[in-house]
Amino acid sequence: MFYRTAGQFKTSYEADHALFPVRQDAFLLGVVLVIAFVIFPLTASEFTFRALLIPVLIYSLAALGLNILTGYAGQLSLGTGAFMGVGAYACYKLITIFPEMNIVVAIALSGFFSAAIGVLFGLPSLRIKGFYLAIATLAAQFFLVWLFQKWAWLYNDNASGAIQVPNIDMFGITVAGPRATAITQYYFVLCVVCVITFFAINITRGRIGRMWKAVRDMDIAAELVGINLMRSKLMAFFVSSYVVGIAGALFVFLWRGAAEANLFDIPLSFRVLFIAIIGGLGSILGNFLGAILIVALPVIIGSVPQAFGIPLDSAMVEHLNIMIIGALIIAFLIIEPHGLARFWAMIREKFILWPFPH
Amino acid sequence: MKRMLRNAILSSALLAAASVAVPAAAQDEAIYIPNLAYRTGPFAATGTPLMNGQRDYITLLNERDGGLNGVKLEYDECETGYNTEKGVECYEKTKARAVVTQPWSTGITLQVLPKSNVDKIPILAPGYGFSPMADGKVFQWAYNPPSSYWDGASMILKNISDGNLDSLKDKKIAFLHLDHPFGKEPLPLLEVLAEKHGFNLVPIPVGLTEMQNQSAQWLQIRRERPDFVVMWGWGAMNAGAITEAVKTKYPMDQFVGVWWSGHDGDLKLVGDQGKGYRSISWSVPNSEAPLMADIKKYVVDAGKSQINQGEGEFDSVFYQRGLMISVILVEGIKAAQEEFDVRNPSPEQLRWGLENINLDEARLKELGAEGMLVPFSTSCADHTGHGGGWMLQWDGAKFVKASDLLTPDRAEIEKLEAEKAKEYAEANAPWPVNEECSM
Repeated sequence: MFYRTAGQFKTSYEADHALFPVRQDAFLLGVVLVIAFVIFPLTASEFTFRALLIPVLIYSLAALGLNILTGYAGQLSLGTGAFMGVGAYACYKLITIFPEMNIVVAIALSGFFSAAIGVLFGLPSLRIKGFYLAIATLAAQFFLVWLFQKWAWLYNDNASGAIQVPNIDMFGITVAGPRATAITQYYFVLCVVCVITFFAINITRGRIGRMWKAVRDMDIAAELVGINLMRSKLMAFFVSSYVVGIAGALFVFLWRGAAEANLFDIPLSFRVLFIAIIGGLGSILGNFLGAILIVALPVIIGSVPQAFGIPLDSAMVEHLNIMIIGALIIAFLIIEPHGLARFWAMIREKFILWPFPH
Repeated sequence: MKRMLRNAILSSALLAAASVAVPAAAQDEAIYIPNLAYRTGPFAATGTPLMNGQRDYITLLNERDGGLNGVKLEYDECETGYNTEKGVECYEKTKARAVVTQPWSTGITLQVLPKSNVDKIPILAPGYGFSPMADGKVFQWAYNPPSSYWDGASMILKNISDGNLDSLKDKKIAFLHLDHPFGKEPLPLLEVLAEKHGFNLVPIPVGLTEMQNQSAQWLQIRRERPDFVVMWGWGAMNAGAITEAVKTKYPMDQFVGVWWSGHDGDLKLVGDQGKGYRSISWSVPNSEAPLMADIKKYVVDAGKSQINQGEGEFDSVFYQRGLMISVILVEGIKAAQEEFDVRNPSPEQLRWGLENINLDEARLKELGAEGMLVPFSTSCADHTGHGGGWMLQWDGAKFVKASDLLTPDRAEIEKLEAEKAKEYAEANAPWPVNEECSM
């Protein structure tokens, strides 16, 4: 009834190739964007911005980067955390070497550094696949984190080995550093995430995306139909690491404010991988759903007992939280092994037929 | 299936609504003291007794005296698991009502420190955090009494050289540390001192992932044969190092740790074999003190404590240090109450209070905690107090005081503090400094 697609005819190729051929999808997206751009900023508290909205957006972006590589091009990677670190350290160096550089430019450039490193560690993908490739990217993970610790130039010889974000202005407004307000940072992150998501949707549904999917589904067949495997795999590594690097720069500059090397260690890689898997490999929407489940839900559950005045120890809340989230992950994977994105697709199908199922 | 779905959607909507409504109004009367605690995660074993101590002193005041000058103290924990990400979350969650931030990890301190000038909430990091925080003119909102890590490093060197650092010439000192901001803290000072006094410093980092298995590090120690091993360890790293030291038969009386490496539980694992191990400390457990008798009467025996009595937690260094940490905080609050004649001081007023703590021997005696904490006082220029510390030595069953009060060699440290504080302020410009302070 509300989601009826019958009667929406396409009369031109443009209409058929539109980003959202179904009117309701576009409408729904519009609603989500209005909520994100207008409703949240009007209602959210600083805690909601800093503990829920900004991290969800940044983790979604990181998962999106990984999803391009793993979900679309089929190359398993365990080095996401380290590639985020490359983006963060590159951005830090750019900002401290050229203090007058615009932060948008610095973040955009820092993506290229992680893209280059990503391609370098993607080279083994030409020879090895699957779990073996995962081990090769694991090497990147260990090596890069070690480098972040040992190469004092990267953190400007700071005594504690950590990088700290200075106050950065853009057009007279402080966007990063301790003086930035949460709402500015939220808008900044939101805009970056929207732009990159828009490009990601278009890349993955276009020629390049189809090439990646062909490589993912069967690389020999893809090669036989004339796809250059080396180019498409390395391109996947490039694009993926670029997005991940930007997520890393945002992670430190627009959210954490300070970071030490071990922040980018393997738990971060796993976290992003879980978001991608639970959200749904090979989908864009899934990254956002996954991030909401993995990043936001624990925070929400953690504040429930307090909100209702239930006297529970914070350590106990934490234990309960871990158990609930664990159970939810398993439950969701049992209900829909292909992730939350597929779950939504099923709900959407139901809506299209409702109220007259076959 | 369908109902489950609907329930899931409904309940998540409810949760979301609840989360927006979190900063609910609570009783205005009590002074709200949040603590970014960690009773879970890899550092829980060392964190729990400290948090118990902090909590129990506040409970004691509420039970015995009805609060502080008649105002109840509301102690609240927010669990971080020593995770910096959770730390930010907790900081944001508690800051609306908080009069103080107790970040409890050098990593979280580094994250909240730059925000202190904006949010105007004092940070209290007793015996941890960033050593240059001692410079109160630059770090207006941060406090690390009674001794900083650099003070600790200086006191350890002073003690192992019997007061004359030049006697360490050509000796080899291995610096076994956690490869983390916390462990790297004393390195700049140790490097300066090594150059000045001609001893040979061998830094041996232990990664977070290899805390429990330090065979590589101890192989290096065996090869290098250092005259002393100085340890900056925390959590699982301490137990790992001490058991490895026993295994490699490193002489325990040449092995010295910082105050966070003097946890009874870690030493109990090796018992008699750990005899002779020393740890510098600015607090000494004394279960006979009048304060401890009160804690026992009003808190522990009344069933209001969370301590594990069977394990002897009551007598442990860390539990009693936790008590001392709350003593320091409460002295600050009390000073603020009396100066401004308010019942419930604001964060700004507490800042003044923490700058004017005067915990001399007489005051400690009045509190019933004589000899349990180094006497110290703070000022607007000196946010640490530099009270010094004592050496504690493991006698096979417990830690005992093994030295007179040691004081750090301030001349060297002050230079370094001023330099690093300036660097920090420049990197974080615009960084307001306290110009009213004329000390």
